[in-house]
Amino acid sequence: MAETTGPERARSAEQIELSVREATAGTAATPRDAGRWAAKVDRLDAVARDGVRGTNVAGRRLTGPVQGFGKMWQKTYRLSLGPQVTPEQAIATWKAHFPEFWPAGNRFAGALTGISPGDVALLDLAVGGGVKLSTGVFVLYADEESFTLMTPQGHMFAGWITFSAERDEAGTGVQAQVLMRANDPLYELGMMAGGHRKEDVFWAQTLTALGHYLGVPDAPVQTRTVCVDTRRQWRHAGNVWHNSMVRSLLQTVTAPVTALRPGRRTG
Amino acid sequence: MKRTCTATVHEVGGAAVIELTGEVDGGAAGTLNAAYDQAVTGGAAGTLVLDFAAVDYINSTGIALIVSVLARARSERRAVVASGLSAHYREIFDITRLSDFIEVFADLDTAVSQVAGPAA
Repeated sequence: MAETTGPERARSAEQIELSVREATAGTAATPRDAGRWAAKVDRLDAVARDGVRGTNVAGRRLTGPVQGFGKMWQKTYRLSLGPQVTPEQAIATWKAHFPEFWPAGNRFAGALTGISPGDVALLDLAVGGGVKLSTGVFVLYADEESFTLMTPQGHMFAGWITFSAERDEAGTGVQAQVLMRANDPLYELGMMAGGHRKEDVFWAQTLTALGHYLGVPDAPVQTRTVCVDTRRQWRHAGNVWHNSMVRSLLQTVTAPVTALRPGRRTG
Repeated sequence: MKRTCTATVHEVGGAAVIELTGEVDGGAAGTLNAAYDQAVTGGAAGTLVLDFAAVDYINSTGIALIVSVLARARSERRAVVASGLSAHYREIFDITRLSDFIEVFADLDTAVSQVAGPAA
């Protein structure tokens, strides 16, 4: 996995804590989770990274589950690692090697330092037929036992993915939990026509790869899917304007032409 | 020392108030869902007020739980507002864009006076 630059942070963790201190000066102590949340960004900033196209991210707004179009789903993928691995070890490993656990054909170009609040990672996702969907994710939250990614406009879904680990009687369990709505009507159709199944396979393979890395190669992945809201939000149908799938297709088709334009980098 | 999330439910005017305390994280799911069920029992509550004045910690899993409550409420055509958020968690509601969909009031009294009926 090739990464060429450091994280694009809206503000550093120190700056976040400073702003919180300023906001609460004289009334309360600095919240203990202040450095774990990213600072607010209106629109994402992104720079080119090797190995990914890097389009459809810069200038986009973040979208939570309430901004999407389709039905709201909560999907939980869980794998038991047993007693040998602590939650902190599991999450530290996951953060440090996050791209390596993704299924083949998909690329995650994040910061060299791993996963930190405020980072923007660029993604090329295999969607079939040789087409790559170029999009990104924003690191919304990260601590020793969990981290959360949030999607931008144009991503397949509006929502969050929280990766976490916790200890119970059986040992440490790791999970990826997606809270999402398809971002627009086209994506909603795609999710209904096999997209949900592909996503389930994607995260099951990711957890299996993490388990393999941590010395638990054959643990089964448990999947639980709950439809949190069956209604579609038609007022957000216009999100289709930002659809990164459509834009990625156009970018693929027009790439030979745009590469010939004067002043364009061709290498 | 971790403070487990607890919830107290009561009604003011036409609004159901859920006062939360402690830490809203993954462990708060049962508490939050039970509080919601209690708040809407009988179907009368058109508006839910989530009061965070005594909450001292919310992580990203806790935010997801709040979104789940919001989704349930919207599917049942109930409004949800929030009160008592610290400046820090107001900012978190902005970052996550929850504040686009949940009106946030400074304190519970203000929230109740705005959303409850004239009797409040």
